[in-house]
Amino acid sequence: MKLAQFIAIAPELILSLAIVMQLLLIALKRSQHGIAFFTMSAILLALFAHYPAMTQVNSAVTPLIYVDVFSLTLKVLILSCTLVAVWVSYGYLRSAVEFHDEYYVLLLLAVLGANILVLANHFAAVFLGFELLSLSLVGMIGYLHLRQHTLEAGFKYLILSATASSIMLLGMAFVYGATGELSLAYQVPGQQNLRLLGQAGLVLIMVGFSFKLSLVPFHTWTPDVYQGAPMPVTLLLATVSKAAMFAILVKFWLVSAIFNNETLQVLLLSIAIASMLLGNLLALTQKNIKRLLAYSSIAHMGYLIIVLAIQSQQSVAWALKSGVFYILVYILATLILMIYLAGRSKAHGVHDQDDWRDWQGMIWRRPAHGACLILALLSLAGIPLTAGFIGKFYLFTVAIENQLWGAIAALIIGSGIGLYYYLSIIFCILAKPPVTQCQTVAVSGGSFTISHTTVMAMLTVIIIALGVFPDILASQLMFQSEQIPIIFNEAALKSEW
Amino acid sequence: MIDIPITHVFMISALLFCVGFIGVLARRNTLFMLMSLEVMLNAVGLAFVGAGSLWQEADGQIMFILILTLAAAEVAIGLALLIRMQHQRHNVDVDGLSQLRG
Repeated sequence: MKLAQFIAIAPELILSLAIVMQLLLIALKRSQHGIAFFTMSAILLALFAHYPAMTQVNSAVTPLIYVDVFSLTLKVLILSCTLVAVWVSYGYLRSAVEFHDEYYVLLLLAVLGANILVLANHFAAVFLGFELLSLSLVGMIGYLHLRQHTLEAGFKYLILSATASSIMLLGMAFVYGATGELSLAYQVPGQQNLRLLGQAGLVLIMVGFSFKLSLVPFHTWTPDVYQGAPMPVTLLLATVSKAAMFAILVKFWLVSAIFNNETLQVLLLSIAIASMLLGNLLALTQKNIKRLLAYSSIAHMGYLIIVLAIQSQQSVAWALKSGVFYILVYILATLILMIYLAGRSKAHGVHDQDDWRDWQGMIWRRPAHGACLILALLSLAGIPLTAGFIGKFYLFTVAIENQLWGAIAALIIGSGIGLYYYLSIIFCILAKPPVTQCQTVAVSGGSFTISHTTVMAMLTVIIIALGVFPDILASQLMFQSEQIPIIFNEAALKSEW
Repeated sequence: MIDIPITHVFMISALLFCVGFIGVLARRNTLFMLMSLEVMLNAVGLAFVGAGSLWQEADGQIMFILILTLAAAEVAIGLALLIRMQHQRHNVDVDGLSQLRG
């Protein structure tokens, strides 16, 4: 391996080294502050290592990994989310009597898995990243062993994600049998007699990813796991895991030639439409904010995968830009809500403070928090002047450009239903505060500090800024076809195989 | 030596996979669910080895080694959760895990 290749994967090397160092650190001295500080600086270092990595764009590091602009962008996004997650976890876990050093090891392992997944260009790398991410997440979901619900959530996630990944692996084996190629870039439809096998494999792989992105009909685990997991882990599940899965799905779709076929497009669109409608409908009755966010994430992922159903080579760059913008906007809004929830909850509490009816009248007692939450919810609902509107608008243009009328209808109907439950939370925040003077824990307790407020305010400012001037970011997100090894072509799409 | 047709390999691995899958769905004892997961993963391994021999490559076998590693890790985590379940509830029946709903 040349030096240039080491530079290209420097962030991952730093993360791997940091994991080993963490283990040594735990062996030497158990300290809550030390390890949190160390983890944060490791992630910051990995973030800075993206500057030199930028110079190595479009290079393959062994057949397993391919570094391109798209994956670098998503890696920066993932690492920034992790930074927030580490800081939130520190406040959340600090209140506990026990030492929680191992938590940070699992966290870095999960992020390493997500990064490998984003870079992957080969089935083996996809598999390694996928499992590193989900197995560490199982450990983190079940981490607080004194709580009752974590066991249930952890076990559900373990069994279901293991089933989903074995389904995906079976699909990979079938595709390998049909094409003789494990690397994404070289897969082309193989011999005639094995085509059925290859198609079955593609559908199975699609099932595996739908599970991870919690798309209907593989969504049932999402609300339970979101609710049962400790709040910072829910934050990771909703941001890091979703972004990584989106990235790899995009790669499968645009890089691997066998994925461009009409049958799969139809399957993808039906999954997307079902997720948008069902996710929003199920969210209507939720009183628990974590469950509500879980259902709304189902709907948002449904909106997001519209960008994959493109029909022509010309729309690839625009679709990628819209996809990345949308997931960024979704993550920003989710982060605000989850930082607030995590700040209000404690690791040694019986459960997190997650009933949104406790937020009644928050705007009058804590105007700053109330305003941030309202703006985040408006952005999720897609109201103009917030970034969420611009994101939806981009998705809309992609759908129109490719004449996906069914998806457009579902997008509009879904957003309409979504407006109802987002607005009912907003009305609750704006309502008269309850008469009793003693405030509930959901509005005042927890490890909430001034820094939580600052970060929430900063994220809110970004949401507004992106909503008013989307071009400050959108003009930076240029994914030209030559920057990504795309072999998407229309001819392949039209040919039945 | 008689050559085994590749379709037979894939058929038997699909069959094994279904056995494991049904096991995960139907079993109520979590220990047996973990064992069914193992069956599923091994079915996948068989398919990979078969595909590797079809294309005369070692890649399939390497994937199988990776899958074995995954299976070990998964069972380790699963058993850890199982022990905690035994401590908390004094049984390992999966039906007890149904408090989260809404």
